[in-house]
Amino acid sequence: MRICGGAKNKNYGPIQITAEQIVGEARELEESVIHRHHRPPKQKINDGTELGEYRLRKRKEFEDLIRRVGWNVKVWVKYAEWEESQKDFDRARSVWERVLEVDYKNHRLWLKYAEFEMKNRFINHARNVWHRAITLLPRVDQLWYKYIHMENMLGNVVGVRRIFEMWMEWMPERHAWLSYIKFELKYKEIQHARDLFERFVLCHPTVASWIRYAKFEINNGDACSTRNVFERALDKVVAAEDDEEAHKFFVAFADFEASCNETHRAECIYQFALHHHVPKGINC
Amino acid sequence: MSEERDVHPDCRNASNPYHECTDYCFRVIAEAKLRMQLHHQSEVAQASGGSRREEAIPNELYPDEGTHDDGPRPEENSDSEPDQPEPAQENMEDGSFPKLSSRQKKWMELRAKMQEAKKRNQIEIANEKKRMEPPTESRGVSKQKWLEDRKKKIGKLLDANGLDMTKAYMLDTQEAAEEKYKKWDKDPAPFGWDVFNQRTLYNAYKKRTKNIEVDVEEYNRMKEADPEFYRDASSLQYGKAPKISEDKIDKMVQELKDRDAKRGSFSRRRKFNDEKDVDSINDRNEHFNKKIERAFGKYTLEIKNNLERGTALPD
Repeated sequence: MRICGGAKNKNYGPIQITAEQIVGEARELEESVIHRHHRPPKQKINDGTELGEYRLRKRKEFEDLIRRVGWNVKVWVKYAEWEESQKDFDRARSVWERVLEVDYKNHRLWLKYAEFEMKNRFINHARNVWHRAITLLPRVDQLWYKYIHMENMLGNVVGVRRIFEMWMEWMPERHAWLSYIKFELKYKEIQHARDLFERFVLCHPTVASWIRYAKFEINNGDACSTRNVFERALDKVVAAEDDEEAHKFFVAFADFEASCNETHRAECIYQFALHHHVPKGINC
Repeated sequence: MSEERDVHPDCRNASNPYHECTDYCFRVIAEAKLRMQLHHQSEVAQASGGSRREEAIPNELYPDEGTHDDGPRPEENSDSEPDQPEPAQENMEDGSFPKLSSRQKKWMELRAKMQEAKKRNQIEIANEKKRMEPPTESRGVSKQKWLEDRKKKIGKLLDANGLDMTKAYMLDTQEAAEEKYKKWDKDPAPFGWDVFNQRTLYNAYKKRTKNIEVDVEEYNRMKEADPEFYRDASSLQYGKAPKISEDKIDKMVQELKDRDAKRGSFSRRRKFNDEKDVDSINDRNEHFNKKIERAFGKYTLEIKNNLERGTALPD
C-alpha cells in the first residue's frame, strides 16, 4: 500500500488559501525582518575617530562591491561620488582614474569626472580631463560641446576658438559648424564667419549649406557678395539631384533678387528653375 | 378633475383643499375688490397723470414692467375697456354671478397672458445682456469649457455657410493654414536611445549659451593683449591659459548646480497606488513587476482578466 502520494479523497479541502494571502504574508515577513531584526541601529557620529571608523567601513563596502561587480559602472560612480561628498578629492580622483582604466569608452564617465572637477573648482584639472576625453573620443559631440561651454563660461575666448578649431579638423556634423559660426557672430567677427562658411560648404557640400551661407550673407553682407554666393551655388544645385532642396534654393534666390528690386532677374531664375527641374508646387 | 375645483384664487378660503367657492364666497370677494378699487382710485387721483387702472391686483404687476417693451401695454389698453363697464356692473353684482364668473375667467386669462409676457421679457433681458457684455476671459475658466465654446462657434459658422463638420478646415485663413502645416512638418520629439541625437545636443548647447553675457569690450581688450589671438588648433601655445577671475568660476559652478537641480525634474514621481493589488513579495519584486507590466501589460491584459474571472471568454 502506498503511503505517500496516494490521496484517496480528491475533493477540495475545507480551507483554501489564495495567492494574495501568500503574497501578503511574504510581504509582512519581509517587513518584520527589516524592521526588527536585521537592520543595524542608526548611529550618530560624534567625533573624529568615529568618523574615521565610518569612512573605513564604507570604503571597505565599496571596495568589496567593485570587486564583485566591476563591470557595472554605477557602483564605481557611487563610490566616487561618496568620496566627493566626504571632500576627499584625491581619493575621488583615484577612483575615477581606476574606472577609466576599466572602461574609457564610456563617455558618461568622462562627463561625470569632468563635472566633478568643475564643481569643485579645479579648473586646470578639468581642462586636463576634457582634453583627454576629446582626444580619446573625438566623435562624441557632447564632450566637445561641454568643454567649449566650460571655456565659454570662464570667458576664455581664445581657448574656445582653439577647441573649435581642433573640432573642425575632425569634420564634424553640420550642427558643430553652425555652433562655431554662431560663436563667431556673437563677437561680431564677420570676416571670420565668412571664412568659416567657405570651409563649411566645402565640408558639407549640400544645398542646405549653401542656402545657409546665402542667408548669412543677406544678413551680414552686401548684395554683391550674396549674388556671388548664389551664383557659385547654382552649379552645385543643378548638379545635385535633390528636387526639394533645389526648389528651396531657387525660391530663396528669387526672393533675394526680388528684395533687391531686380524683378527681371527673378523671373529669369524662375524660368531657369522650371526649365531644369519639375518642381512640385512652386509658389511664386 | 381635482384641478378644476370651483375655487377662486382670491377667495380667503382658497388654501383649504376641500373648500369650493359658492355664491357667498364670490360676493365676499367682490365686496373686497370694490373696497380696494375705491381705495386705489383715490390714490390714483392724487398721483399725477396715472392712467386708468381699475384693477387693483394688476396694478401690482405693472411697476416692474414699466420700462420694458410694449408687450403688456396692449394688455393694459385692452384691460381698461372691460374695466370701464365693470364698476358700473359691480354695483349690480348681487344677481350677476354668472357674469362675474365669466368676468373672472376673462380676468384670469388676462392675468395668465401677462405672466407669460413677463416670463418672455425676462428671457429677452438675459439674452440682450449676454450680447451686450464682452465675452468672458478664457483664462481661469477650464480648458474643456473653452474648447466646447470654440466648437459651438465653429459649428455656428459652419451652419451659416452650409458646411459639414468634416469640412471645418474651410474656415481657416491662409495664414492659419500655413501655421498648421508648419506644425505638422515639425519632427516629433525623440525618445529612447535617440534622445541625445545631433539636433538635441545642439539645441541643448544653444540653450545653455544663451545665458552667457557677451562682453565685447573685454573681448577687444584681450584681442589687443594677445598677439596670437586667432590661434590655430596646432598652436604652440597649447598649455597656456589666461587667468580666470573668481566670479567667472563662481558663475560656472552655479550653472552646473542649476543643471543638476534641473536634471532632477526630468521625470516626475508617480503617485503610490495604495489600493492596487499586491502582487510582489519584495521591493525589488515590485519594481520588476512595474517594468514588466510596462512592457507586456497590453498583451497580457486579456489573459489576466480570464484568470481573474476563472474562465476564459468564448471568442
